[in-house]
Amino acid sequence: MNTAATSTDRFSTSAGRMVVAAVVMLVCVVLLMLVSTTGMQGLLDLAQRTEARVPTFLVRISLIIAALTAAFFFITSHSYYKRNKVAIAPWMFLSVGLVFFSIYVIVPIFQSISYSFTRWDGLYDFNGVWTGEWVGLHNYKLLLDDPNFYTSLWNNLLWLLLFMLAVPIGLFIALFLNQTVAGIRIYKSLFFFPFVISQVVVGLIFTWAYNPEFGLLSEIWSWFFCETKTNIMGNLTRVCSPEPPSILGDETMATYGIIAAGLWPQIAYCMILYLTGLNNISSDQIEAGRLDGAKGWKMLRHVILPQLKPATFIAIVVTVIGALRSFDMIATMTQGGPYGSSNVLAYYMYDQAVGEGVGRYGYGSAIATVLFLIMLVYISYFLWRMYVDEMEAK
Amino acid sequence: MKFKLNFSLTSIAAAALLSTSAMASDLVITFDDLNPDKAAAYEAAVEAFKKANPDINVVANNGDREAHKGTIRNALQNDSPDLITWYPGNRMGPFVDAGLFMDISDLWASDPNLSGNFNAIKPTMTRDGKQWGVPYSYYQWGVYYRKDIYEKLGLSEPKTWDELLGNCDKMKEAGVTPFTIGTKFLWTAAGVFDYLNLRTNGYDVHNELTAGKVKYTDPRIRDTFANWETMLDRCSFVSTHATMSWQDAIAPFANGDAAMYVMGNFSVGQYKDAGLTDDQIDFFQFPEITPGLPRAEEAPADAFFIPAKATNVENAKKFLAFIATPEIQSEWNKTIGQLPPNSEAAINTDDKFIVEGMETLSTAAGLAQFYDRDAPAAMAKEGMQGFQKFMLDPSSLDEILENLDKVQAEVYK
Repeated sequence: MNTAATSTDRFSTSAGRMVVAAVVMLVCVVLLMLVSTTGMQGLLDLAQRTEARVPTFLVRISLIIAALTAAFFFITSHSYYKRNKVAIAPWMFLSVGLVFFSIYVIVPIFQSISYSFTRWDGLYDFNGVWTGEWVGLHNYKLLLDDPNFYTSLWNNLLWLLLFMLAVPIGLFIALFLNQTVAGIRIYKSLFFFPFVISQVVVGLIFTWAYNPEFGLLSEIWSWFFCETKTNIMGNLTRVCSPEPPSILGDETMATYGIIAAGLWPQIAYCMILYLTGLNNISSDQIEAGRLDGAKGWKMLRHVILPQLKPATFIAIVVTVIGALRSFDMIATMTQGGPYGSSNVLAYYMYDQAVGEGVGRYGYGSAIATVLFLIMLVYISYFLWRMYVDEMEAK
Repeated sequence: MKFKLNFSLTSIAAAALLSTSAMASDLVITFDDLNPDKAAAYEAAVEAFKKANPDINVVANNGDREAHKGTIRNALQNDSPDLITWYPGNRMGPFVDAGLFMDISDLWASDPNLSGNFNAIKPTMTRDGKQWGVPYSYYQWGVYYRKDIYEKLGLSEPKTWDELLGNCDKMKEAGVTPFTIGTKFLWTAAGVFDYLNLRTNGYDVHNELTAGKVKYTDPRIRDTFANWETMLDRCSFVSTHATMSWQDAIAPFANGDAAMYVMGNFSVGQYKDAGLTDDQIDFFQFPEITPGLPRAEEAPADAFFIPAKATNVENAKKFLAFIATPEIQSEWNKTIGQLPPNSEAAINTDDKFIVEGMETLSTAAGLAQFYDRDAPAAMAKEGMQGFQKFMLDPSSLDEILENLDKVQAEVYK
């Protein structure tokens, strides 16, 4: 009896809240529609005199937020929700993220896959009509016959393989720095420094260092192989034999040059991951290992490394991601050159679709789709691995 | 209360939207060059226009040239200004074909300047028999050279291919690299290719090639590359060109290590910034290769276009007519050191490069825009990569040309 009374009581208050929320929601939606369509002649005459420009998007955003808040109250006041709180609540929290994830990630993936079956220069005509045409698998056939595509694919592989060097080197430096001497913090921060500066800056520093005319490398080169002569106009000039290597201007060396530049901050990143990992190593186990006579390599291999397994996993994950994100280094250092020999798929896609108005959106999308499929292998492995770990944890 | 607040905000916002379209005498211009002299010339022209049309409220925007190549797509499709800068030739093709530029043939027919004094440049502004923009400036290309080195070696400006090669031999003997170039951003190599092709095969072949009607494996194009190979062999280019921009490549030129530079006239200011004087540098037209071939030149133009979605078309046309007048054309190009497309406009006779450029272009049998403006962007990108590869490794020619044929077959569909 008592419970029934409380439940009706609760219902009535909820009903009141529901009605208010529903009204607010409706008002917001109507206003939103009014703001979006400018056909509000009556209102406009009234406000014609005001010259002030209020950005309509601010109005729209506040209306959307108000509507969402009202919707939240509306749903939480409903009795169905109250009965199934535990099941529904997580989805409500997820919904915001899911909406944005689908708008900015899921939908574009399918959009670009669909563009890959078309020939399109990225333009809509005057009436907003899409100007492309459907060409089926044509772009993929072209890809199979495109030497630049194979160069980019091979470079992607090189990046993935050589970038992995960051993990052992990072580990080595972390082990080296994991000691207590005066000023170790300074050394640690010096080693960590390259990770703090932006990729673009790293790219520029290395581009200058590699420059065969005035770079650091050519300076060192000139100590051994060059002499300074006076040229025909009486100016000093440098004559070298052999010539200093033009690392970013040579198709056989350009990619390695960029990878080396990319490794610099990546090693720092792996190092910091391992340093935090080393902090958490249990001293009991080390002591126990020592009592059993383990030292040096054996200690590292059988006692330290197993405890660093979580750090290693994260280091590998971020390094793979770093290798696939090589775009910015390439954009700052070579723009894919010389003649496309340092392209990776991500940059080649950008180059064909967006860059310098080339405008082969269909072809660029086909490259993107191939890149997506390749990454899907890695992503699936990663998700599977997470799933297994979760299961084990249970 | 909340309702009221929203209500008033909404009405103000909507009013602002309407009032912009209600005020008919706006003019929004988007320009794309932030270099100090270019920006100054543009602003001066806008000021003069404001003075002549006090009733028009001009909003003059300016932005980075490279970024503009990407942002123009959005500007034409969504948020159109009333005037926007872009390149004529095939570069305007995609936008014209998608109906995003406005046909201004009527202005070309009715305006006394455009109908009478722009004949040389009119073909490049024309597509499908209609005119789409108004050029405000153009400039010549050719060979800039170190006059003092030439004098020291007792050389004279070459008129023929053999004379050029002979000059190169003497320079190499004296330890001077004949040509400087920086191909990091590719287009400089296209300048050399264009001239070799224009001099080997002429204007028509250049146009047919960039229009996709001649294949890259065509024997005539192979002749061009054969000449280029001779040039690479006897007139070597600086060895590190693939890592240099065109500005970087000025360093060996200014230092006297290299003697010649195939370039556009916009580079003269940079030579002077590098410490060279008018006595040290000079200009000659790229020498004749095939005897008797009518001489065509590269003369890229910059122009204003009206986006199809522009709101103040009448004001935009007024501005176009205004910048086509001899006075504005003359003033604008004096400031930026280039040539006015209006043949009645006065040029700066104190600048020997401008005088020589005017002479070069006014006597030319045809004016090419430039490889990357005459060819569609997708073709140009691949083509210029091919040119760079050829310059680094001439033995890969067959591979390059076959690949370019494949791209050509795809791009021109």
